Amino acid sequence: MGLAQNIVFGLVTGSYIAIAAIGFTLIYGIVNMINFAYGEYLTIGAFVGVVTAGMLPLPLPIAVLIAMLAGGLASLILARVLFTPINNTGPVPMLLTSIGLGLVLRNAIRLTAGRSSRYFNTQTATFRFENLPDFSIGSVNLLGELFVTSQQLVVIGSAVIVFLTLHTLLTRTDIGIAMRAMSDDENLARIRGIDTQMIRDSVWILAGVLAGLAGVLIGIQTNVSAGTGFNHILQILAAAILGGAGSPYGAIAGSYIIGIVLALSVAFLPSGMTGISSAVAFLLLIIVLLIKPSGIAGQEVREA
Amino acid sequence: MIPNATERVGRRSFLKLAGASGLTATAGCIGLGGSGGSNEIVFGQPAAQTGQWDFLQPGVSQATDVALQGINDAGGPLDSKLKIVRRDTAVNPQEARSVVTQLVENDDAVALLGLFSSEINPLFNFLQEQQTPIVTPWPGSNFLDTRGGDKGTPENIDDDGWVWRTVISDTVHTAGAAKRALEQNHDKIGIINGNSEGARSWADGFKTAYENGGGTVTKQVEVSQGGSSYQSALDRLFGSDFSAFAVSIPLEDAITLLSDWADGGYGKQPILSDPLSQNDLAKQVGNDLNGAWAASPGQSGPSYDTFQNAYKEADGDAEINAWTAPAWDAIQATALATERAGEASAEAIEKNLGAVTRGNGTEVSTFAEGKKALGNDKEIVYRGAATSMTFTDFGNVFGSVTINAAKNGKFTQQEVIPAKELREFVSEDEY
Repeated sequence: MGLAQNIVFGLVTGSYIAIAAIGFTLIYGIVNMINFAYGEYLTIGAFVGVVTAGMLPLPLPIAVLIAMLAGGLASLILARVLFTPINNTGPVPMLLTSIGLGLVLRNAIRLTAGRSSRYFNTQTATFRFENLPDFSIGSVNLLGELFVTSQQLVVIGSAVIVFLTLHTLLTRTDIGIAMRAMSDDENLARIRGIDTQMIRDSVWILAGVLAGLAGVLIGIQTNVSAGTGFNHILQILAAAILGGAGSPYGAIAGSYIIGIVLALSVAFLPSGMTGISSAVAFLLLIIVLLIKPSGIAGQEVREA
Repeated sequence: MIPNATERVGRRSFLKLAGASGLTATAGCIGLGGSGGSNEIVFGQPAAQTGQWDFLQPGVSQATDVALQGINDAGGPLDSKLKIVRRDTAVNPQEARSVVTQLVENDDAVALLGLFSSEINPLFNFLQEQQTPIVTPWPGSNFLDTRGGDKGTPENIDDDGWVWRTVISDTVHTAGAAKRALEQNHDKIGIINGNSEGARSWADGFKTAYENGGGTVTKQVEVSQGGSSYQSALDRLFGSDFSAFAVSIPLEDAITLLSDWADGGYGKQPILSDPLSQNDLAKQVGNDLNGAWAASPGQSGPSYDTFQNAYKEADGDAEINAWTAPAWDAIQATALATERAGEASAEAIEKNLGAVTRGNGTEVSTFAEGKKALGNDKEIVYRGAATSMTFTDFGNVFGSVTINAAKNGKFTQQEVIPAKELREFVSEDEY
């Protein structure tokens, strides 16, 4: 198996990071805060999904929808109760509040659901492409053979649907255009008659919905535990910053770069160092920020 | 070397003196040294009630509770009621440190019947400072191979390691895994392991035994635990030439990893670390796992039937796992050491753990038998349920290894490798 196979693995990882990172970066762009509790929104969605699919049980697509709704609802309620009242106190109190909220949520989930992992009961089909032309550069195979599982296709497909929906929302709907306007200049948006509180609420809901979806997709790939979101928040943060904080399109690009770098680093790091693959993604982040502090698509996209 | 031992003992002694004085003044009763002011002896049990290993705790708790009932029915150590205080550590070193402090200093436990290697290894110096015997059914880490026990000098506690384990080390059961792999003609093997202490310990032990037996490890890949996918790591591992691959990673990661392996159609013979012979793994991964096997600590102690009969009659329906019988042995041996010591203090128990498990004397399989023999001024030798329970100088036990294989969603016992066949892999002066 070759380079292309590892890129496929990276695309899968990048896809669910991207779904989550879009929500994370929207909050940054519109509400102007880094929400460290965002990882726990993933966990809430994942647990709601596993409970509705496994214990009730409801069909998985319906469980996914309920998980997305739960993520959105939790995000809106927590924002209304905790973040909106301190919205004018500046970014530091908001950041600290989000860190505290993350701790509380994580431990509340542990207390409620226990520390054991839960699993989605899904069937997997594997699709193989075995007669591809084999190109090599040095010792690195480029193609050879490829495989992708049905779950991986669901993850990639979900990401594509999210990207298209988001693009349509941001470019073709009044609320999306208002979000972009508010992201560029909130005061000007308000003067032009945009209901900024409504837009904020919409962003909180949208971010929570995306977190819920990402949580379920991660759960389907692996398992669901109280640490699910926390385990991924640094990757999401890195993807959002790498892409240019506040830029949904940049977050998508950053996520796929992180995902592919993670996969390739495991494949090509010296033996014995593969256990530190996550560090490679962060090394890349540092290098990019040294060259372009605003991230890959930060300012350019926001000015478009 | 026991850092700050004098200072530590002094503080504990002061606390106990103050506590005993207070109780004496208020209640007028004089307690047994080291175990509170009432006619009650406390053993602490740091437990995995939550966390990655919580699926193993129910069997251990049930074994401890049924043994406790038997001990108290027999009159208890020193005619006192034995009490177990169980506290959750989640197998987290930070929480374990708090729990140990709480058990020793607040609950007044004179011995501890728990702690995993993930907790003991990073806390080893701290645990030495407690000067409280830890008789644990959990840790397999080869880190402890030469660090525990009384070094063969029961009366001299200055050189003691204070850790005694009633389960065989990774060194022993990985020897069993290596022996079986070689017998199955797997002369080239790959290893994939997580980056935690326990996962590395198993992988290192297996690799050493396997290579000493003449096998070749063609590739070893270490992965970050908690990952969402292990496909890239598997892809890398399977780029090498081997006929079997060993997996050492906690259960939830193993389910992800082996599901990825099954989905990828990589094939070849999986060899699993001992905690992975769980039906959950076989059920989640499915029939692709059929034939995968794990070498686990065996249940071949002379008193296994005694344990099993008592366990089955107890309340609760927890499955017996590889750590259940060692948990029974831990409390029995510690209670017998207390009885033989004639004093319920940490130091006295430490000095007597070797004495009730080694050498000659009336062989006993329960506390009740031991108490009776000791009452007749006879020396005793406790014969355990998991192993013969003859503690080495380093506080280790030696025993057989059980091979459990996956088939149709569950693990079943396939064979037992006797202890004597594993001795050639494990040097006595290094274990």
